[in-house]
Amino acid sequence: MARSKSLPTAARFYLVLMGLFLVGPFVPLVIQSFAFQWDWPNLLPSEWWFTARDRARLPLGWDYVLSPYSRLGEAVVNTVVIGGATTLICLAICLSAARVLAREQFAGKRAVEFYLSLPLIVPEAAVGLALSVIFVRVGLAGSYAGIIIAHLIPTIPYMVRLLTAVYQGLDPGFEEQARVLGANRLQALRLVTMPMLLPGILAGCLFTFLVSTNLFLLTFLLGQGKIITVPTLLFAKIAGGSLDASAAGIALVATLPGIALLLVSERLLDGRIGMVAR
Amino acid sequence: MPSPSWRHRAFAQWRPALGLLPLGVVIIVLFGGALLLALLQSLGFAPWLGVNSFPDLTYFTTLWSGASFWWSLWFTLYYSLAATAIALVLAILLALCLVQAFPGRAVFGSLSRLPLVVPYAVGIALAVIMMGNGGVLSRLAATLGWIDDPAQFPRLLNTHAGLGVIAVYVWKQLPFMALSIHAVLISAGREQAEAAAVLGATRHQIFRAITWPQIVPGIVSSTLICFAFNMGAFEAPFILGGGFPDTLPVLAWRYFTDADYALQLQGMAVVVSIGLVAGLLIALYLALYRGYEHRLGRV
Repeated sequence: MARSKSLPTAARFYLVLMGLFLVGPFVPLVIQSFAFQWDWPNLLPSEWWFTARDRARLPLGWDYVLSPYSRLGEAVVNTVVIGGATTLICLAICLSAARVLAREQFAGKRAVEFYLSLPLIVPEAAVGLALSVIFVRVGLAGSYAGIIIAHLIPTIPYMVRLLTAVYQGLDPGFEEQARVLGANRLQALRLVTMPMLLPGILAGCLFTFLVSTNLFLLTFLLGQGKIITVPTLLFAKIAGGSLDASAAGIALVATLPGIALLLVSERLLDGRIGMVAR
Repeated sequence: MPSPSWRHRAFAQWRPALGLLPLGVVIIVLFGGALLLALLQSLGFAPWLGVNSFPDLTYFTTLWSGASFWWSLWFTLYYSLAATAIALVLAILLALCLVQAFPGRAVFGSLSRLPLVVPYAVGIALAVIMMGNGGVLSRLAATLGWIDDPAQFPRLLNTHAGLGVIAVYVWKQLPFMALSIHAVLISAGREQAEAAAVLGATRHQIFRAITWPQIVPGIVSSTLICFAFNMGAFEAPFILGGGFPDTLPVLAWRYFTDADYALQLQGMAVVVSIGLVAGLLIALYLALYRGYEHRLGRV
């Protein structure tokens, strides 16, 4: 079967449908974020928020989203701080484990690997509610530390798998050669191993950061309303089942980290997300 | 290297354990601790609430004897399984399309990944704006002259048919499944399929005999992850679901936030029930998969 430059009509039709389904709904979301009055059944708003700006006493649309009233700034800072801390801690504890899992053979290895992927298949509500009980007892509920610790659970399986694959792709021979040629352990790590591991580590960190910034339930249950992040803010905005211009704006802001990641790391993450799923 | 003494050998034996230690402690203490606590509390152990009747099965028997629990379980299973199955079919087709070369494939590939990298709440916002009675689909229907009042548009959200919930799950998980299947297809290469084609196999035969066995491992792991996630998902059924009887995670949360503290134990029984049902189904699924691999002679 020769590869042809053009797809069969059915496949092309299917791709268009999938594009409409996966990305299409963002178009009305953007429109809604700029709408002031958008009556049924108009396909476009009859009035935009910036034309109604002078008449309104309260900030409208993006004015509101970007104003302190929306608490979006606070939520963004919280999300980034929690995501960053989670990523660093996750990396620190996963690095040595990934090295072992990639290079050593030992009894019970399969069991360890299975146990490390368990957080992926145990329902989040179960872990979150149980942790909230524990954290209330030990005083971690409603604190940054508590949320960061909880975020480790769903991020660890991804980080371990990505880093294990990185170590598997790294021939230990390079490190041995460096040692034979007189480098000490630290030099071998710093000058040989690290530069080769770095792209993989970076990809693991970006993915972990993204998983953490998108987590809702654990933050919601353990933040106890005291610590808001972008997903919990958006949840509170749309919990009533309707969507105004400011909620649409916050939803778009919540989409930005993902878009940035897709742009920046297309190369880094290529094929790796799929690898995580295996 | 000096010849290893027994001390060295003992160390060499324990070195893997040492590297796994930090991670092991975190996972065992946090994750294992949470699961253990859920189990203990659902069995009546909660001295901090002034309740300790361990071991006590009444929280389970009370829960399981009410009809509304079984409705909740049904809705939870139905949303999870329907969404996983629909997303899987769409994802296989998408992955098969994406291994073909066509102009704009790279752009399409990364655009189609967008749902994968945004929070579920964004998907819920999109469901509201698209599927609500005043939403875009209803406006399109009006533009086409099918309806002339929003009330005539069929209710898609907040019904127990759960179309909104399922749509959000499918939207968010389809790219994840497509990506894992795509990765398997890429690493498997096309040689076998091409050889079969040269030998005269039809496209249908190639799919059944070659492509399908290649992608099954990717399918199993990604559907497993998505199904388990859906069983424990909270925000989509909370906002887009049909209300009482709620899905199990929403039910558990309602018990937990009830002014009556003692209902927490009932909530834990719900949580443990979710874990039991999900665990049983996953074990069954893996057993079936192992049987399939066995028949193929791959294990």
